[in-house]
Formats: sequence, C-alpha cells, structure tokens
Amino acid sequence: MAGGGGGGGGCRRVRGPELRELLDSKRDVLFDCDGVIWNGEAAVAGAPEAVRLLKQRGKRVFFVTNNCTRPRGNYAHKFSRLGFSDVSEEDIFSSAYCSAAYLRDVARLSGKVFAIGCQGVLQELRDAGVDVVAEDSAEGPDTSIYDCPLDPDVRAVLVGYDEKFNFMKLAKACCYLRDSECLFLATDPDPWHPLRGGRVTPGSGSLTAALETASSRKATVIGKPSRFMFECIASQFDLDPAQSLMVGDRLETDILFGANCGLCTVLTLTGVSTMEQAQEYKDSEAPEKKDFVPDYVVESIADFSEALEDE
Amino acid sequence: MAVSKCSRLSGALVKQLLESVDSVLFDCDGVIWRGDQAIPGAPEVINLLKKSGKKVFFVTNNSTKTRKMYADKLGKLGFDASEEEVFGTAYCSAMYLKTVCRLQGKVYLIGSHAMRQELEAMCIQQVGVGPDPVSGGQSDWANVPLDPDVKAVLVGFDEHFSYMKLNRALQYLCDPECQFVGTNTDTRLPLEGGKAVPGTGCLLKSVETAAQRQAQVVGKPSNFMFECVADQFGLDPSKCLMVGDRLDTDIMLGSNCGLKTLLTLTGVSTVADAEAHQRSGCPHRQKMVPDYYVDSIAEILPALQG
Repeated sequence: MAGGGGGGGGCRRVRGPELRELLDSKRDVLFDCDGVIWNGEAAVAGAPEAVRLLKQRGKRVFFVTNNCTRPRGNYAHKFSRLGFSDVSEEDIFSSAYCSAAYLRDVARLSGKVFAIGCQGVLQELRDAGVDVVAEDSAEGPDTSIYDCPLDPDVRAVLVGYDEKFNFMKLAKACCYLRDSECLFLATDPDPWHPLRGGRVTPGSGSLTAALETASSRKATVIGKPSRFMFECIASQFDLDPAQSLMVGDRLETDILFGANCGLCTVLTLTGVSTMEQAQEYKDSEAPEKKDFVPDYVVESIADFSEALEDE
Repeated sequence: MAVSKCSRLSGALVKQLLESVDSVLFDCDGVIWRGDQAIPGAPEVINLLKKSGKKVFFVTNNSTKTRKMYADKLGKLGFDASEEEVFGTAYCSAMYLKTVCRLQGKVYLIGSHAMRQELEAMCIQQVGVGPDPVSGGQSDWANVPLDPDVKAVLVGFDEHFSYMKLNRALQYLCDPECQFVGTNTDTRLPLEGGKAVPGTGCLLKSVETAAQRQAQVVGKPSNFMFECVADQFGLDPSKCLMVGDRLDTDIMLGSNCGLKTLLTLTGVSTVADAEAHQRSGCPHRQKMVPDYYVDSIAEILPALQG
C-alpha cells in the first residue's frame, strides 16, 4: 500500500495500521511547519512525539517552510522551546535559507542583491555570504521616490515578507529590474499567512505581485510549490522522491509542491486547508487541479504517533 | 465615417471627422502634455475646438490631483479649461462610490490627499490617508482596530503605500460585504520632468493578491469614466471623439462606448502596436485599434484654423 507519488491522489483518510504501513514504506519525511507542527507559539498536540517516533524508526525528518521571518537558528530554538528534543538547524529549510542558497550555488551570483525582506531574509543572505543591499528607511532628505540613487553592483532583486515594505523599496527594485540581466527572485508565493484566531496577514506573494506588475517581469519563486526547496534538500541529503513523504496543511502550497517533486503527499487538517476544499479539487474537471489533491489525509500529525505506538 | 481603421488622419479627413462630432475627450499625459510641458500646439487645438463650438473634456486615470488642481495646471499651460470639464479618477472614484456602490459609511483609503478632498466634497468620510508605518508584531497587525463604519476600501496612487496599509486593507476586505474599488490599473505613473514610478496598478495588484479578491476598477478602459461625462453633459456617443495615446486604456474605452477614436503618437503606444492588434484575429484586441492616428494633436490645427 505504498502511496503513489506525484499527486493525482486519492484524498484518502488514513490512521492506525494503514498509516503505519505508509510511514514504514518511506525513508524520509518532509514536514511543513505552520499549521502542521505548530500553530503560532503552540506545538500541535502530539507533534513532538510524532517526530521523535519517526526518528526512532530510522526515518530522516526535514522541515520545509515558506515562512521566511526567521533565520534557521531561530527556528531551531523554537523547536526546542516547543518540546522537540532532537531537531537541528541542518534539518530546517526555510524559503529564506533556500533563496540564499540559490543565489550562492545555483545563480552563483557575483555582485549584490537588492533585498526586500525582513530580518529573517537578510540574515540568511548574510550567513550565506551573499552581498546584500537592503533599502534603508533612514535615507537622506534628498532621497524621494522620484529620485533615488542606485547601487551599480546590484545583479539580483529578492523579494520576501517585509513588514517595512514601502513605495520606495518598490520603486528602487523596479529600477534595478529594468536591466533584463538582473535576476528576479521571490522567497515564496503565499498571498497571505494565517495567524491565530482565524486572522490573516499579507504574505510575500502580495509584495511580489506589486513588483511583478511594476516591472512587467515574472519572479523566479524559490518557495513551495516550486521544486527548488526539494532540490536544495536533495543536494545536501540525497533524497529519493519515491521514498519521501510530504506532510502539509495547504493544498496550493504543500500538496502541489509534493506533486511537482514526485512525492507522496499527506494533508493534515490542523491548518489552512479543509477536507471539503481537497474534495473540491478532486471533483474538478480540470486536469491541473489533480495536483492539488493529497494522496492521504490525517486529522493531525498526532495520528502518526498513534499509528507508530500501536504495535 | 470610414469603415477601415487605423488610418492616418490627414487632409480633408480632418475637417470631415471634426464636423461629425460635437464633443472631444482628451486623455492628458502623452496627449496634451508631458509632465509639466504642454505638447506644442496642444493649447491652440483645445482653444480653437471650443471656439468652433465643440465641447472639450479631459479624461485621465491619474488620481493624484483634484479637478481644481487639474484646472489650475491646464490654465498654467495655456489651455482654456474649467473644473467641470475635467474627469480624473480622484473625482470619478468618489462619484463611483456614491452612485454605483451607493456607499453608506466610510472608506478605508489608500491614496492621495487629492482623493481625500474629492471624497469629502461628496460627503464621504475616509480613514487611512497619509503615512502609516508598521509597529508592533504580527499578532498586532492582525488585530489592528477596525473602524466599524468602513464599508469600502478604495485604492489609488499612494506614495505612502506600506505593508501596514496593505494589512489594514486586507483586514477590511476579509468581510465580503466590504466593497473593493480601485482607481485604475496603470502600471506606471508619469511624473513631471519625464520620469515615471510604479503606478496604481501595482498597489492594487498587491491588495487584490493579499485579499484574493478583484477590485471594481473605475478608470479607463472601464466605461464609467465616459458615462460620468456623458451623464453630466448629455453626450451622444456617436458624436464624440476620444483622443488618447494608449491603446489599452484610451482607445479601448472609446471602442467600448461607441466613440470615434484617434491615437496620438506623442505618448505610449505606436502605430506598429495598433497594426499588430489589427492583424490579430482576436475580437478583444480589435477594440484597441483606433479609427485614426496622428503624430501629434497639433496636426489638426490647420483644419481648425482654415
């Protein structure tokens, strides 16, 4: 009953022995974080246990998140704070970390990157040794959106979640992007992020949309559902899609990512997407919607512990 | 009028065209001025048109000025024009909220003080105009106090656009009953001095993406801009000429409303662009083919002077 990778899945609820069989058939498990492992500052009940049991059974566990608000080190601290005893920085792949890796290893950027992003983004770039120009809001009195100095060494623009986003940054980035040789990257496409209590906050995707419209160019998106984050992990840890499982809560991000990378996918219902939404994609006539359908569905990853303990 | 399209307007055709219309609507940027310089000959054209009994109107997607500010600029550049003849999106979006949305309540405004003034002139209260830098953390943003009287979000050009404003707009737009209006979708805003900056279209796209909702757009090519003028002045579309420099806004508006259309080449679009649309089989693209074109509107001067 090894699940078929690559999407077009059955949207099948699993638990207990069936779930254990699925988990046993895979070597590596990739988890999204928000809505899967934790919600805000609270771990999803049973999550630390699930991760521990998977590792105990010899699985490798990785965390793949579009959230670029913190550097990896901070995420590692959060895991520890929330009761996960055995998660190290190397297991954590955020879109900020992967964007920096892309610039350094894939694009082999020589020159600077004009980065629109929060501290999490800027830190990852610096840690990767990428030369960053970040818009400084404390500009001189002569600087206005109508007349701002440009750095001649900028060879790439990266846009990510930025709570200090403003018109000046948009205008400057647009100027840099007039050069077709200048790379255009976005950390992730998420239009909004959920916060506790059902509220939402604008995501990187909404900032990228402004920049794409201004420049008439499309960004290369690093985060899920693009393949790059999987390729980043695979380059460090030798992953085989056929032996990997992707667990996420957002159909348009995690499940589509799984489909794009040929992974078997599990939707957990502790986050953004619902069973009804998954069913809607399944019932849709359009062939491309099949990639949004998870292979399997669990209520929560606590079901993993239940399945693995129950021997 | 001629059945064939995209013809150079010259010779006898000029007088013929002018005689067939009683109103002429002009776009501004790239048609009658560039930044703060009038296109040579443009003031004379407008003034002679009026002298010859034509009604003249100015229809612009630019939301950064009130009608009065436009009238002042027109006057300074030598155009004989009054406030009532100007239809910018600051004014038109206030009209739209009043007459189409039938707004009862306040507006959360991402836009200029000009927009605020036009809203207030129509007794619509706004909140939000001006700088709005971020403070606090993520949970604070999701919990920003919302004014319960806000029943619409309006997005226009705003040099103070920020994450915080985007966030507030998103919070209001989470209520499906809250109306969502944008002044225009132009991606570039032309400036005095010939430069350009990202336009309202970018800000609107940002809000639309975060909220996963489509805005109702007031500006060209939406019919509303023409209807605004036509309703106030009793215009007959078949007797109107739309003069513009952009195929996707000015000419499209003209086609959609049944006006005659004239492309001037002192702005954005080229004859090659128009001919490419003409050659395509696509009905949507055909609407961007003008009836006529001129290098500059100064070319119609001889017909007016003769």
